[in-house]
Amino acid sequence: MHSLGQQAPGEPQAPAPQAVEDSALVAAVLGKDRKATAEFISRYADAVYGYVRARLAPRHDQVEDLVQEVFLSAWESLSRYRGTGSLEAWVMGIARHKVEDHYRERLRAAEPINDGDQGSALPAVQPAVHQLLEEDQVRKKTWQVLASLPEQYRLALVWRYWEGASARDMALKTGKTEKAIERLLARARTEFRGRWNHGQ
Amino acid sequence: MASDQDERFMQGIADVDLTASEPAPARLKARVYSALLQRQVETGPLASLTESHRCGHELCVFEQLVRISPVGETAKSLNICRVCHARVLAESMENAPIFWNGCPYVEFKNS
Repeated sequence: MHSLGQQAPGEPQAPAPQAVEDSALVAAVLGKDRKATAEFISRYADAVYGYVRARLAPRHDQVEDLVQEVFLSAWESLSRYRGTGSLEAWVMGIARHKVEDHYRERLRAAEPINDGDQGSALPAVQPAVHQLLEEDQVRKKTWQVLASLPEQYRLALVWRYWEGASARDMALKTGKTEKAIERLLARARTEFRGRWNHGQ
Repeated sequence: MASDQDERFMQGIADVDLTASEPAPARLKARVYSALLQRQVETGPLASLTESHRCGHELCVFEQLVRISPVGETAKSLNICRVCHARVLAESMENAPIFWNGCPYVEFKNS
């Protein structure tokens, strides 16, 4: 005997309620039920929008088109959703790919920035940023500094540090050499830290 | 070395979650919904309103009229939102003056 909610060894595991709900919604959207389609958007639009907006800032003019692309792309590939993870995670995965496509296109087309001598003497790094500022303040300041950077610096930094892409991966996707990406990142980091320390 | 310091600095900053907690504008949800229905229609008709009703979804007043009309299921599978003024208003205004139940564009405004 085992109590309710416990799984006996070898007993087939029942799908979690969320998984059942996700699968039902997917089936209804694939069946082109308009109300299910509306629910699909209602459920995930806020998360997708928040993510895309954060990754494209300050270019808010491009956010809405990209959000729409995410949902259209989700529809195109919805039949391949297998329910192994949550539907939200699956949709957010598509959003990440779309953002990455955006970075790739923008960085591939970007002209190099000539900003003079690098590695100039900057004040020593502040070791514990989070101890000095509340997280909200850090977020706000990060936004401000990122927004003030040239676009290719901003995209390179967000792609590398917030999306976790490696320089090698970025190089492959943009058609640039790894060295070129590393140089771009080095300039972007220096510029970011300089603006952070000097109030932009 | 300055570049190592820059790297450590960025790694510290990158712990901050940049994602905005701001909800998506209703206007955007409306626009995405219209685009998605349009895309669905390109590969064949939508599920009929009879089917949606049977699944327990609330229909708007116009959809109800179509559902109870003596027309075939083909007509009940059309994307009637495409010709509805609520769609036009919802796609252009954040607080569109549409208030009836069962309309997805109203739901987007209230969500």
